Amino acid sequence: MKARNLVRIRRISQAFFLLLFLFLLVESRLPQEAYQQYSEVFSTGENLGLDRPVRFFFQLDPLVVVTSLFSGHHLIRGFFWGVLILLVTLLFGRLFCGFICPFGTIHHLVGSLRPSLRSARRIQASQKSPGQRIKYFLLFTLLVSAVLGLNLSGLLDPISFLFRSIALALLPGVGVALNSLFHALADSHTKILNLLSYGAEILMAPVFGYEPQVYRMAWFMGLLFLVLLFLNRIRPRFWCRFLCPLGALLGLCSRMSLLRLEKDGEKCTDCKRCTSICQGAASPEPGLTWQSGECITCFNCIAVCPEDALAFRVGWFFGGNKGPDMGRRAVLGGLIAGVSIPFLGKLDGRAAKTTDARLIRPPGSLEEEAFLTLCQRCGLCMKVCPTNVINPTLGEAGMAGFWSPRLIMAMGYCEYTCTLCSSECPTGAIRTISVREKIGKPIRIGSAYVDRGRCLPWSGNAPCIVCEEHCPTSPKAIYLKKDRSRSREGKQTEFQVPLVDLKQCVGCGICENKCPVRGRPAIRVIAAGESRSLRNRILL
Amino acid sequence: MWLQDSIDRREAVKKIFGLAGSLALGTAFAGPLGFSRSAKAGLKPSGFLVEGTGIHEGYSIRNLVEQVFEAAGGMGRFVSRGDVVAIKPNISWARPPQLAATTNPEVLKAVIELCQEAGAKKVRIADHTIHDARRCFALTGVGAVARQTGADLVFPRSSLMREMKLRGSRLDVWPVFSPLVEADKLINLPVAKHHSLSGLTLGMKNWIGGVGGSRWSLHQDINRSIVDLAHFFKPTMTLIDAIRIMTRNGPSGGSEKYVARKNVLILSDDPVAADGKAALLFGKRPEDLGFLNIGRKGGLGTYDFKELEQKKVSV
Repeated sequence: MKARNLVRIRRISQAFFLLLFLFLLVESRLPQEAYQQYSEVFSTGENLGLDRPVRFFFQLDPLVVVTSLFSGHHLIRGFFWGVLILLVTLLFGRLFCGFICPFGTIHHLVGSLRPSLRSARRIQASQKSPGQRIKYFLLFTLLVSAVLGLNLSGLLDPISFLFRSIALALLPGVGVALNSLFHALADSHTKILNLLSYGAEILMAPVFGYEPQVYRMAWFMGLLFLVLLFLNRIRPRFWCRFLCPLGALLGLCSRMSLLRLEKDGEKCTDCKRCTSICQGAASPEPGLTWQSGECITCFNCIAVCPEDALAFRVGWFFGGNKGPDMGRRAVLGGLIAGVSIPFLGKLDGRAAKTTDARLIRPPGSLEEEAFLTLCQRCGLCMKVCPTNVINPTLGEAGMAGFWSPRLIMAMGYCEYTCTLCSSECPTGAIRTISVREKIGKPIRIGSAYVDRGRCLPWSGNAPCIVCEEHCPTSPKAIYLKKDRSRSREGKQTEFQVPLVDLKQCVGCGICENKCPVRGRPAIRVIAAGESRSLRNRILL
Repeated sequence: MWLQDSIDRREAVKKIFGLAGSLALGTAFAGPLGFSRSAKAGLKPSGFLVEGTGIHEGYSIRNLVEQVFEAAGGMGRFVSRGDVVAIKPNISWARPPQLAATTNPEVLKAVIELCQEAGAKKVRIADHTIHDARRCFALTGVGAVARQTGADLVFPRSSLMREMKLRGSRLDVWPVFSPLVEADKLINLPVAKHHSLSGLTLGMKNWIGGVGGSRWSLHQDINRSIVDLAHFFKPTMTLIDAIRIMTRNGPSGGSEKYVARKNVLILSDDPVAADGKAALLFGKRPEDLGFLNIGRKGGLGTYDFKELEQKKVSV
């Protein structure tokens, strides 16, 4: 095949997978057209799930598959896609990086649209550098740490990173901006502007929803994402060359690849165009040893060579490639860091001794240690949650659980018959539960308690039964008792005051969410009593 | 026209392109404050009260709804050709219909069809739900009804909450779910159920689902808040769905244990009378319900049923 056609195919493939990724990301929400027949959900106990395979890219990602297996001893649903990618890599090198990876495509795009480096500086920038060993260091850290039971791979995995950045920061950012624009238009007294805002709102709703979801820590995720994009100005595909642990994993696998770059030194005029355009800094120019582990198979070098001095060949023999240049220090350092981090993560005692009262995990979450072996911190549960209650943690789960999901009842609440996060979790950190199991067993995520000093009727200030009214269990976990109190003028008043029956409470948090005392509500949910943990139980 | 909204995407696109046309027609648009409520005027309450009961095994709800409206003079008496009709069901909770936490979808469907047969240009279903609206639409069966009848199901969202002057005794300015006031006719279609503060939630209390803002603070003076809202919204009529009623654990419910089958529909143009009649189904006297007392004193209506033209039908 002609080299130029290969590049064309690569671009089509990159565009296709990037669009597919974005499409599935946008579709990771309860659709506006959720019109199911009413009888279905309850009579069959079926879940109101999503039609689209929104987990596809996580299944396709060998790093997710491998770390889940190492850490949680769990083969994720659809793991064969990841295995397939590994096999392809073994045979033909890092085709995933060049043809599929949406994060790589974005970097590729940013780096080539308006390259900041030109001519000699670009050639200089695309020469192989020792910094490229960093990614192997990171890979070993993540793998060793995963084997020891702490799966941090999602923090650096490109698919999780990209999903999190776009779903939690970029999309909500644009959504919030559009929403405030629509509100301004809707409030205007000019009729045409009102019409415009209504029309635009309906058009945008499938992507952004009617009320934009917002997330804690999102500003930081967005900033990190922008920084990574900016780094393409220093080195093209900076992320892929220096940081990406998935690229490192695939680089290791490509050692045996049948695909190799053959160089004809006699034809070469030393123009260095191949090096200049090389995405992986894999030393394509004749005279240097081609780095199969660094090559992301973009096929730019063979397409750009004016002398036809370069060609990719499929050789039917193994072991012809030079192994990836990892450096002993990167490997050793990775091993040491990987051993240390899980233990450092336990130093704060959160996993073994105390749990943070605010660490309320989504319903169906595994017990904490098992949870941390699988959670990718990808943000998919946060994106699909219809009430926006699931947010990334900062310190509530300790260093080990950074950016893992927790429920913040000020943002939303867990809807009683909803199991969307559990049915869409790509790794099973939140195991799949049915509506019947969730409300029948029930699955408790925490317990509510009343703060009598704040509570309007308890403090003798006003009647209010809002928490009781919203309580979804039957019989209600929040029940009312008549209570007499004397006002400061000496008048006797009788109020209904709320009490919590812990045997019934599932910790859904709608009481906290709707309590008229805002900010720090008079009824609050803490993680104690969650059914996933034996240690954190309250009642005998 | 521009308010027309469904949760169907293709439909939405179609409408955007239809917007130019509606511009010319010039739908009455109200600013954020000082909204004039011209649309619903014109129908003088004659004070009627119809109670329809399904007494035969396997009766048709559609037939019952039809008979009830027939007894009140037919839907054509209320809905004129070309009207935009807004229906306010109670679909606050993502619960299936058999739990009686939400308006019976078959009743809703029948009412929409009668409106359409009477020549309504557009029927909108609008409720500011408590649970996620998408899940409410799906689980209550109202989404399916909208799809089958072609009625617009308005997605409740903050841009549709418009601050308006209620001029009530307790509530002054409050964000109102605008599709409910920007229609020619307004039908209140609640379900009858238990409520631990107001005693029952029937027609008048259903208007709490017609406003936005900090609704949770209304409970501090629930009866007067309910009456203020009932004065503001003044529906063309109230049809109380008491096919199934929730007798305990309301208003969210969650168990069929507390659901009683009454097979009753109550239709009235008097909001107090409709609620008063429905209260009897729970074994409560209308005078025991605070909001009915205040409502009656404030001239909203009466629960002295003798003052009304009463009719009973059964199928």
